[in-house]
Amino acid sequence: MQTSSSSPALCALIPVDCIFNCSNQIPYPSTFSLGLSTGSRKLKVSRLQAGFWESIRSGLIKNNSTQVIEPPSSSQEDEEPLPEEFVLVEKTLPDGTIEQIIFSSGAEVDVYDLQALCDKVGWPRRPLTKLAAALRNSYMVATLHSIKKSSGEELTEPNNEKKLIGMARATSDHAFNATIWDVLVDPSYQGQGLGKALIEKLIRALLQRDIGNISLFADSKVVEFYRNLGFEPDPEGIKGMFWYPRF
Amino acid sequence: MAIVGSIHGRFIIFNNHKPSIRHRQRRKPTPPIFISTNLSDINPNHLRDLCSTCNHSLHRFPNILPDGRIEPVDVDKLRIALLHSSVVVSVFAKPELVRLPESNTGGDWYRRMIPLTPVTGELVGFGRAVSDNALTASIYDVMVTPTLQGRGIGRMIVQRIIRLLTSKGIYDIAALCSDQEMCFFKECGFGDDMLGSTTMMYSKSGSDMVVSAGRKLLMVPPLRKS
Repeated sequence: MQTSSSSPALCALIPVDCIFNCSNQIPYPSTFSLGLSTGSRKLKVSRLQAGFWESIRSGLIKNNSTQVIEPPSSSQEDEEPLPEEFVLVEKTLPDGTIEQIIFSSGAEVDVYDLQALCDKVGWPRRPLTKLAAALRNSYMVATLHSIKKSSGEELTEPNNEKKLIGMARATSDHAFNATIWDVLVDPSYQGQGLGKALIEKLIRALLQRDIGNISLFADSKVVEFYRNLGFEPDPEGIKGMFWYPRF
Repeated sequence: MAIVGSIHGRFIIFNNHKPSIRHRQRRKPTPPIFISTNLSDINPNHLRDLCSTCNHSLHRFPNILPDGRIEPVDVDKLRIALLHSSVVVSVFAKPELVRLPESNTGGDWYRRMIPLTPVTGELVGFGRAVSDNALTASIYDVMVTPTLQGRGIGRMIVQRIIRLLTSKGIYDIAALCSDQEMCFFKECGFGDDMLGSTTMMYSKSGSDMVVSAGRKLLMVPPLRKS
């Protein structure tokens, strides 16, 4: 297995057609940090970017007051899902308080709230740092919060209860494949169609970005739930296998 | 170059000519190859050609053209997919080897002196994994050019991917595979899920509001009004 990097002394031996091949290579910058910039939900603020040559040119020309602005490349616009938030359900409880269930995608999720929700559903605990990193690097994280307010009060009052009651996340390569992980809804809110809304919204966002292979690994108890949403178990013989290290 | 390590008293040799410990069938020796995990070494156009040669589609349910081949991949989409994959492994070999895999001479002295690098070599194998860099990962699109299959290259690709993922602390590694690929992944150490989960894929077709993915027309769920 040759893993040595080619030394400059050997460059002379490379035939000419290989040099032409070099120029056809798509210039991926080697400093591109894979995996760290994906899925991060930074706000889409258009940044003032100066092209390299434009900045040199503007520096050479005296009294040049024009600002060199490069519009953000169009390929970046469709890459990350736009954060959105809307009220899914609103109902009035018997004691007069109004409860709203807010769907949001792209919002920051508090890992402590998520850990508490996982405990409620009965899932094993996972390290918090890993949870936080996973959420940051997921392509899309959809959450459901419940906000309770007494009638007459504004929503922005601090003594309103905002509780995390559901979450689903999906990892993807932004082009072909996506896998949905960690779908959970608070047990006291189950059975109302909230989980269905979460998944449907995820699928909608993924399909709108032309991501066709949407897969997930379902527990035996929820296979029926996903079947109703349009998922097919083991379609055309495709199976998911997991890696088990053999020592 | 052989590196010999000992784990639990059993010698495991890491080199090209890895003896198969379990099966005694004679496998052809692994040819000299260059493995790279660097994204900048891959030319998307070459990758697209490799996909066509291996008859592998990135869509799960590909459009099959009338002559049996698979519709070629869109290069721009391929580029985006590569950019957002956590691990990308590519394997290069000398072009003469691809054309004449059994020959030992490898051409005249002039060609033999050229070092094998991603620039001088031809892309013969590929594999990638998508993950959230913390908990889970999925392996996709492992392919080796047909003339060099069965020589341990595919297994090396998968093992390199796994090594890179476990070094980041990710141990939950999944691979979606069809019937033909199942034997291959089983050999690499994959098995059915111990927790008994079912693999499911979205395949609901519809008449309007559809998105095409290969040969499937997937229905986009309608917007619900509360």
